[in-house]
Amino acid sequence: MPQAQDNLILTVEGLKTYFPVRGRRGRHVRAVDGVDLSVARGGTLGLVGESGSGKTTVGRTILRLLEPTAGRVVFDGRDVFSLSAGEMRALRRRMQIIFQDPMSSLNPRMTVGTIVAEPLAVHGLVPRNRRAGRVGELLERVGLAPAYARRYPHEFSGGQRQRIGIARALASQPDFIVCDEPVSALDVSIQAQILNLLADLQQELGLAYLFIAHNLAVVEHFADEVAVMYLGRIVERASRDALYARPMHPYTRALLHAVPVPDPARAVAHDRLPGEVPSPIDPPAGCPFHPRCPLTRQVADRLPQTKTITILSDGAPARVVQQCMCETPVLRPCRDDASHCHACVLQQRAEA
Amino acid sequence: MGDVAHNPTGGATVPPRLGRSLWSDALRRLLRDKAAVVCFVVIVIYALVAIVSPLVLSGWKDSYNYDNINAPPSHSHWLGTDVFGRSVLEKTLLGASTSMTVGFWSNILAVPLGMILGAVAGYYGGWLDDVIVWLYTTLASIPGIIRLIALKFAFMDHKLLAGTPLEMDLDGLAGLCLALAVTSWIGTCRLVRAEVMKVRELDYVLAARATGRRGFSILLRHVLPNVLHIGIITFSLGFVGAITSEVILSYLGLGVKEMPSWGQMIDAARMDLVVGRWWELAGAVGAMFFIVLAWNVFGDRLRDALDPRLKNV
Repeated sequence: MPQAQDNLILTVEGLKTYFPVRGRRGRHVRAVDGVDLSVARGGTLGLVGESGSGKTTVGRTILRLLEPTAGRVVFDGRDVFSLSAGEMRALRRRMQIIFQDPMSSLNPRMTVGTIVAEPLAVHGLVPRNRRAGRVGELLERVGLAPAYARRYPHEFSGGQRQRIGIARALASQPDFIVCDEPVSALDVSIQAQILNLLADLQQELGLAYLFIAHNLAVVEHFADEVAVMYLGRIVERASRDALYARPMHPYTRALLHAVPVPDPARAVAHDRLPGEVPSPIDPPAGCPFHPRCPLTRQVADRLPQTKTITILSDGAPARVVQQCMCETPVLRPCRDDASHCHACVLQQRAEA
Repeated sequence: MGDVAHNPTGGATVPPRLGRSLWSDALRRLLRDKAAVVCFVVIVIYALVAIVSPLVLSGWKDSYNYDNINAPPSHSHWLGTDVFGRSVLEKTLLGASTSMTVGFWSNILAVPLGMILGAVAGYYGGWLDDVIVWLYTTLASIPGIIRLIALKFAFMDHKLLAGTPLEMDLDGLAGLCLALAVTSWIGTCRLVRAEVMKVRELDYVLAARATGRRGFSILLRHVLPNVLHIGIITFSLGFVGAITSEVILSYLGLGVKEMPSWGQMIDAARMDLVVGRWWELAGAVGAMFFIVLAWNVFGDRLRDALDPRLKNV
């Protein structure tokens, strides 16, 4: 990591979150399987991956909304998982979350004012008689009229509801917010408004974001650093510019290809990834991406039979490089850019 | 409702407030709802009759008049007379006392019990859930009416709070209420447990945890208000269910004995209808009709009033 240790608000080391599988003793869904990352003060880390890659679980485990299986999360010098329940509740004032679904993240039987005032009440931040005024300020800050405090969530559109969720997250003046796909459920025209609001708030209040998304285009707009997740692990991590200019991992490349280009003249026939994300109960051996990886197939075509293995991928036989199935990939920095790490065995060997 | 954005109510001139609580909001809406008010008035009238009739009509039980038995409705007896020549109208009014007592007390015991156990089981899960589910599954494996009869027999010759000023004879009304309560919390518990398990996983509960609220406080503020409608519905349905159960028990000779009840009237009328004496049945059924209707409509409207999503419908 380029930043000095005290410049980081959050560091995550070896985070694992497993869920037991019902009825199958000893079997686990390895939703998060060894994740390292860090977020700088006032900075944004984009966490990208397709559905089921474990990115939401990472966000929730960091906030201890889910119990970790292993690993360490250090928030502003304090080990989050070793805190007592009371200490944890106090720390929650400083780390907040914005949810993906603006429908289910607001209690339908509470007024907007009560929802936004909840962090103030829980942490006793503002005396009761001044809470309404503070809620009005918060609503105004996110672009809503203070008079909306008396209304109920169902009276608002998706974008407005997301603003209410942001106001709630801001209420306790946090330093760090997990944005869990905050714009994925919104219309494209509204997405930009919410992203701009989040960017403004970050500049004004010095917030740090862990910005979770399944869309690299959204993150490009927003993040200083990007980490790409696949099946519970980070496969590539780099500064935004480096990642978009020179994606190293074949999965990152596939994700970048999947971003639609709004120009028919430039539309290129790109290779769709075969198959779907495998089950995190039995992840593939070696590199978990190998059954879908276009790179390993290309390389395998040029290698003698003895160095490849034929697997069944999406119903058809495919040749992959032996190493991809046998070696567990490790996130390593590129030779020429220490801040750019990736976990592709083939790329690492090509560089060496 | 989609244009809320372009129509802020009053804008900045409105003094900042967080909005009324769910309950005061519901009360305001109920008062504007004519059907709810009418039904509530009907319930209040029944309650008043239930309280006043035993005092005013205390002599009814011994008002035998063997010269005027089984008389059809007339000016002196609007609903005719029964097999002992007593007024059926007065009998119906006295029956309201029994039925309202049974309906009210059995549900005031059963619904909160079912809600608390169901909420605890659904919210905390684990061994608490196992114990509560085991309890109600075991009870539910006995058919309802047989469970009631068994309890009624078990309560015979026992007293509740014996030796205190509140001493109650379990053979009578108190025993009936208790037996019904022990039986009818199961349905509420099962429904509430399932609903709590659903609500507990919603993002707003997670948001409350992320805010730093304690588990129990989340249960009270976020989970229970969103399952309360089940309690309201089961209360109004349970009220009706208790009245009908009392009818069945009376028919089986296990109902209330010291007081007339609608159940006894229906039981008495079962042989009467064949010979054309319809008024005793009509009295009991008519009296039940209005209270059942009023409770159902009122329960429905109360549930709607407590749901802000239906505010302006």
